[in-house]
Amino acid sequence: MNGFGNLLRLRFLPAAVWGLALLAIWEAGSWFLLKVLQVRMAQSKLPYIHEVVSAFGRYGSTLLKEGWVTLANAGLGLLLGATAGTLLAVLMSASQWMERLAFPYAVASQMVPILGLAPIVYGIVRDDQWARIIIAGYITFFPVALNMLRGLRSAHPSALELMRSYAAKPWSVYWKLRFPASLPGLFGGLKIAAPLAVTGAILVELMGARNGVGVIMLRNLYYGPSHVYMFWSTVVAGALLGVLSYLTMSVLERLAAPWQPEFRTKGGDR
Amino acid sequence: MTEKAVTMIPEIELDRVSMQYPSAHSDVLALQEVSLNIAKGEFVALLGPSGCGKTTLLRIMADLIQPTSGGIKVAGKSAKEARLAQKYGIVFQNPVLYDWRKVRHNITLPLELMGVKKAGRYRKAEELLELVGLAKFADKYPWQLSGGMQQRVAIARALAMEPEILLMDEPFSALDEFTRERLNEELLSIWSKVGNTVVFVTHSIQEAVFLSDRVFILSPHPGRLSAVAEIPLPRPRTREMRNGEVFFRLIAQIRDRFEGV
Amino acid sequence: MDMDGPLVTSIQPNGAAAGQGTVAGQGIAKKRLDFKEAGRIGLPLLGGVLFFLLWQLQAFHRIFDLKTYQLPLPTAIGAALSDNFGLLLSYTSYTLAEAALGMLLGSAIGFLIAMIAAAWPQWGAGGLMLVASLNAVPIVALAPIMNLWFGDEMGARIAIVTVTTMAAMAINAHKGMSMVDPLALDLMHSYAAGKRHVFRYLRIANSLPYVFTALKINTTASMIGAIVGEFFVSSRGLGYLLSNSVKVAKMPLGWACIVMAALAGVLFYLIVEWLEKAFIKWHPSQRA
Repeated sequence: MNGFGNLLRLRFLPAAVWGLALLAIWEAGSWFLLKVLQVRMAQSKLPYIHEVVSAFGRYGSTLLKEGWVTLANAGLGLLLGATAGTLLAVLMSASQWMERLAFPYAVASQMVPILGLAPIVYGIVRDDQWARIIIAGYITFFPVALNMLRGLRSAHPSALELMRSYAAKPWSVYWKLRFPASLPGLFGGLKIAAPLAVTGAILVELMGARNGVGVIMLRNLYYGPSHVYMFWSTVVAGALLGVLSYLTMSVLERLAAPWQPEFRTKGGDR
Repeated sequence: MTEKAVTMIPEIELDRVSMQYPSAHSDVLALQEVSLNIAKGEFVALLGPSGCGKTTLLRIMADLIQPTSGGIKVAGKSAKEARLAQKYGIVFQNPVLYDWRKVRHNITLPLELMGVKKAGRYRKAEELLELVGLAKFADKYPWQLSGGMQQRVAIARALAMEPEILLMDEPFSALDEFTRERLNEELLSIWSKVGNTVVFVTHSIQEAVFLSDRVFILSPHPGRLSAVAEIPLPRPRTREMRNGEVFFRLIAQIRDRFEGV
Repeated sequence: MDMDGPLVTSIQPNGAAAGQGTVAGQGIAKKRLDFKEAGRIGLPLLGGVLFFLLWQLQAFHRIFDLKTYQLPLPTAIGAALSDNFGLLLSYTSYTLAEAALGMLLGSAIGFLIAMIAAAWPQWGAGGLMLVASLNAVPIVALAPIMNLWFGDEMGARIAIVTVTTMAAMAINAHKGMSMVDPLALDLMHSYAAGKRHVFRYLRIANSLPYVFTALKINTTASMIGAIVGEFFVSSRGLGYLLSNSVKVAKMPLGWACIVMAALAGVLFYLIVEWLEKAFIKWHPSQRA
């Protein structure tokens, strides 16, 4: 068997089996709650999977449209936040002053529940589009700045001396050495931030927006039991958006920084 | 001193170079008043046990650090001017290859910094890969190569800008004995074609004797130059010389210098 | 070849006597260090003070064209903080309790999953992939469901926090349990140690640094989970007060909630960090 087939067999087959088992347990649990225990609002608590899937199908075009709005806003915020975070990281790595000033706050920001700011930002901006973008950007900013800074500093001391021995200009040191060396760090930050940015966007939508996955989630929740399956399909859609944002970052990482150890198919001669 | 040393054109001149490192408790004297001359086109070794300051001395020559006192001249200029004029090629103990560049692009890196055009860079890389015997591996990533091959890439990279001076800091010490001996011979064959000045730091007496015209012997605490050995083995050096009486006698004489250190 | 004469020439040190290898330089190094230390604390402090000063003087309001009822002044926030301090304190401890309980539960479950995955690697790793995908699920989507299950009491938020903290612990602990030095594993085999002993004496100790990394990630995640969970269906807690204050345009009180949440988050983090110091003194990351 070739390497890819092996990978498929070893990693994805168990995951698929687990996934199927989980779905089976879910379906059985749903039936148990509804028919045996006869719990109140049983289908709201644990709906039949097949009903949710069929609602997902019927509801597909709406979910796609609203999902795209959420994803686009989160993506725009991610882009802004990542750009600003990268800039701060470069400034911090280039100037000790800047680092002393900003680094403690960047670290402290990691301990602060940032999503709690969402209602405040919404209160200030009052524009659902911009509130989503700002929150997503803000969430992205610090993880990217911190991870990027770690990446910029990860350049091997001997590699820096090598550049010095070539009498390389400061910007060539950045361009040829520090930036490529920092890419794994940058993507590490982006992979943390991307699902959080989606969460932030949905949060703003739940607090009041005109479109997006969060809006239809809320609407179906208010309609009550008759919209149970549609509500659950929006929840699934939200989860998929989060996973999708993460996978997008992973794919980008593979394209931009394919040399990393975890992407190597097998060990070299070493 | 022998005749050669008197008539030589000095490429590197060190005049009473001292180096002091500040530390928490008291400052450490890493080098004490080292004076030496290295001729153009000469192959010299800096030999000594760990802590003798041989790497410090090499880094001072490369202008990676500045000595606390003393003067250094490289081709009549200061070490910094020589570095800015891109006269140095350096090979470290680790190959320090860039993970994100294929072998070919690791070698073209210094040429990119010098502003050489793409066609010229590729031609030079081709040439150097041929020279170090890695032509087949141009499009591999560094991790796909063995340790010895990686170090040969590092040598090719150091030669890319045709440096007047090649500085090598224990380049083969992380390799096994067999690979190391083979690379010693390959290095000499490359050097015979390139003909630049080589300063080679090592803690192996055999390696120093086999490679060099002269061996500078350093002693620790404080690091200082304690002796110089002329190696009269003819060139080109061959594997057979390693088994010769002269080779062993030189090794024995140098080893005697370290007795009691 | 004539090589009878000595080939090695001695070099005498000129002038300076050997043995003066050390020179006292303590005073200067020490002074430089103190100055550096002052810069490390002073500069960010100065920056912070300047930031608040500009905020108080409404510089940001002018730049972004904001009114003070949109972005309240620091003094107004301070006043809201002191006026409602009792309420804020009780709500903070309520939210912190949800976060801590949920985190403990989630981390315990995550650790258990990691152990199962490490003990049966072929099937466990696949299951771990599913758990890892939980990491990418937006917590807000969980909030309404957990409310259906557990009502509007603490339970719903604890459940949300449990789910969100599980994945990070499972992934990190598994990394720590499986990235064991192969030689240490060989050593255990040479002792004829069984699976249980390998876990007890090797894998669990090896996973501790990773476990604390996960716990530190989870402190923030759990505070976020608890607060966001309170935004929607709740009658107590910082998240409830925060979203309610914004709704009724009491912005200073909303900001006061944020201040308390930030302080609680930092406190929570510091406690975990202190535990880490106490538990894994042997690890290289703890050496000065």
